[in-house]
Amino acid sequence: MPSWSDFQPFLVTGLSLGGVYALSGVGMVVLFRATGVLNLAFGAVGAMGALIAWQLINKSGTNEWLAFLVCIVFAGVITLAYGMVFGPALAGREPLVKAVATLGLTLVLLGIMDLLWTSSGGASRSIQLPTDSNTFMIGSVQVSLTNVIALVFGLVLTLITGAFLRYTKLGTAMRAMANDREITATLGVPVRRVEATAWFGCGILSGVAGLLLADLVALDATTLTFLVISALAATLIARLRSITVTFFAAVVIGVVNAMITPIQSLTNYRDMTPFVLAVAALLLLSRKREIAVGRQGI
Amino acid sequence: MRMFPALSRLRLRHVVIAALVAAVLAGCGSSSSTKTGGGGSSGGSGATNSGGSSSSGGSASASTDTSKCGPKPGVRATGSTISVGAINTKQPGTDFTDIPNMEQAYFNCVNANGGVNGHVVKLIGLTEQTQPAQIAADAKQLLETNHVLGMTGNSSILECTINHAYWEKTGTYVIAAGIAPECYSTPNISNVNMGPRYSSDGAVQYALTQHPSKIVFDQSNVPGTGYIAAGPQALAGAAHVPITQLTENVPIQDANSVALKEVQDAGPNGAVVLNFTPPEALVILQAAQKLGLENRVKLWGCSTPCNTDFLASALGPRWNHKFFVNAELTPPDASNSPTMNLYKAILKQYGSAVTGGIGSFSQMGFTQGEIAVHALESVKGPYTVQSVNTAFHDVKNYDTGMLCQPWTFGPYPLHIPNNTDYTVTPENGKMVIAQGCTAISSVDPQIAEYRKAAGG
Repeated sequence: MPSWSDFQPFLVTGLSLGGVYALSGVGMVVLFRATGVLNLAFGAVGAMGALIAWQLINKSGTNEWLAFLVCIVFAGVITLAYGMVFGPALAGREPLVKAVATLGLTLVLLGIMDLLWTSSGGASRSIQLPTDSNTFMIGSVQVSLTNVIALVFGLVLTLITGAFLRYTKLGTAMRAMANDREITATLGVPVRRVEATAWFGCGILSGVAGLLLADLVALDATTLTFLVISALAATLIARLRSITVTFFAAVVIGVVNAMITPIQSLTNYRDMTPFVLAVAALLLLSRKREIAVGRQGI
Repeated sequence: MRMFPALSRLRLRHVVIAALVAAVLAGCGSSSSTKTGGGGSSGGSGATNSGGSSSSGGSASASTDTSKCGPKPGVRATGSTISVGAINTKQPGTDFTDIPNMEQAYFNCVNANGGVNGHVVKLIGLTEQTQPAQIAADAKQLLETNHVLGMTGNSSILECTINHAYWEKTGTYVIAAGIAPECYSTPNISNVNMGPRYSSDGAVQYALTQHPSKIVFDQSNVPGTGYIAAGPQALAGAAHVPITQLTENVPIQDANSVALKEVQDAGPNGAVVLNFTPPEALVILQAAQKLGLENRVKLWGCSTPCNTDFLASALGPRWNHKFFVNAELTPPDASNSPTMNLYKAILKQYGSAVTGGIGSFSQMGFTQGEIAVHALESVKGPYTVQSVNTAFHDVKNYDTGMLCQPWTFGPYPLHIPNNTDYTVTPENGKMVIAQGCTAISSVDPQIAEYRKAAGG
């Protein structure tokens, strides 16, 4: 069994990955609450944005900050466009249909990425954020500014989103729509505009997450597309309700995933972490509910 | 901060189902089946090159004349078409299509300069996603539907395992760039490369010359890892150096953790040896660099796939003479031979589909093309399945100009004709030779058995 000092570096990588999962999860929860859509294209949109940024930097010589901005704006616009085109048609359908529809966008984007940025055996791509070169030591562990940004950004975003939903008009409208879209509309709330804001915000977050994960994990279309599963697990643990629980669940998933890496007997199973934690949490929560219902019955 | 208390249970249940459906589909996503023809037109099969990031042909000598590839410079072949086939893995994280694309580029060059005894050579390439039924179907399609006369250019994780019995039954002799154990241990398949086991042997063998206290050998978690690991295990065991074997699921999703684990396991006087495709190796090495780990072990090593200028350039100078890569073929930057110049010139003129550019994969494709054309030129009489396969089988001591030793197919029960290699290291964005041609140790029992069979 590794010693605590062996685990420390993994804690750093786990926290930063967990932070990015958290901001992904928060984006998905907010969109779900406002529109009823579980956006499974979150990862693919971010991946394509990151690849566009890579293309601009490496092939067109574009300033990297401008390229990063293009990535984020692209993600926001493509998500908004999807929401505006398909959102109204799907508004009255079951959440299952809405979620599966976003898989369509995922597959289209994956196909485009595979066509434009082939992953041949000899070629590879990477994005290095300028913050990678700012490093400091915590004990024997080297921490980059990107690691810190990933975690802090996830935390700050969670707090800001919470305040936004609670204290702003738009946030209140989103919460109202989550309860009943039709009644909210009859009260004069501009439903389409509120939904558009949620789609655009979710897209922006997917762009930010895409950039961070391209740097922290890999700039690979498939990898980034399916990293959404970790964020998805966090949202399920939070039962798609609480962004606070989403944040903590995402961080726990990131940390547990990283911390079991040095344990030889578990290391090859660490990719199961999101599934195992999500299933365990759902079973636990449903058991608690059964007990509560049982007690009410008594 | 519970925001939305009125969530209906029904809605949540549907969403959970959707999430599970998504997870299942995600698992299916990586095994989609797409087939691409090898194409016969100049430049390959139409695969895009927009994402290529390497020095594709960029360093080729502008003065090199590609017309030297054929017997009649500038005269396009007009004879009937000799079709040959190839099966290659193409899936997320593992893509070997640069090999047939480069071989097709070589054929395009030959076709534009007289062809093979006046005939046009065409490569029909099929791809697979590590699905046994699909791989078996590909073989049958090539032989029974496409009616190819021979097989050259195969490079697949499972193809040899699935199809070697079919090749033996049909009398097909395959020139390949192999991976699976059966590529090297069966009578009808012979390879231009060493494959992951012997290439990993070479990388570990070099690392052992630096006297590390321990070896950590890490590779992709794909079928055949036990077979590959047996070689490095034998070499380290013979040198009395402890070795830790690791595997990683690909695509790697937590490169930082992987790099940390490797360095911790190796210790400050140890060596980390990787056996991954370039994209996976790159994410591990870049993660190590970001975490400041490159100097926390004595040296880093890698099997042949890491031998690309792209990797040397992407990693930067911090890895100069710190990272040592096995090279199964002559390092392109270190050689100015006519063969190497021809390879670079063909890559530049005809290799638009070769996304990885200069590197081991395209060198393997070029070498396979050389051998196939050499064999086809020796055919007297009509080109038939039998005459083409006999020609492939009879190739003996052919100097490819790309390997340390002449290449022989040979009537042997096993085939490891490439068993002498280089070691290269990054230097200012290029791979330079760290160690010249060195025979892979016969401590690996498979190498010993082949040398005995081949009379070496």
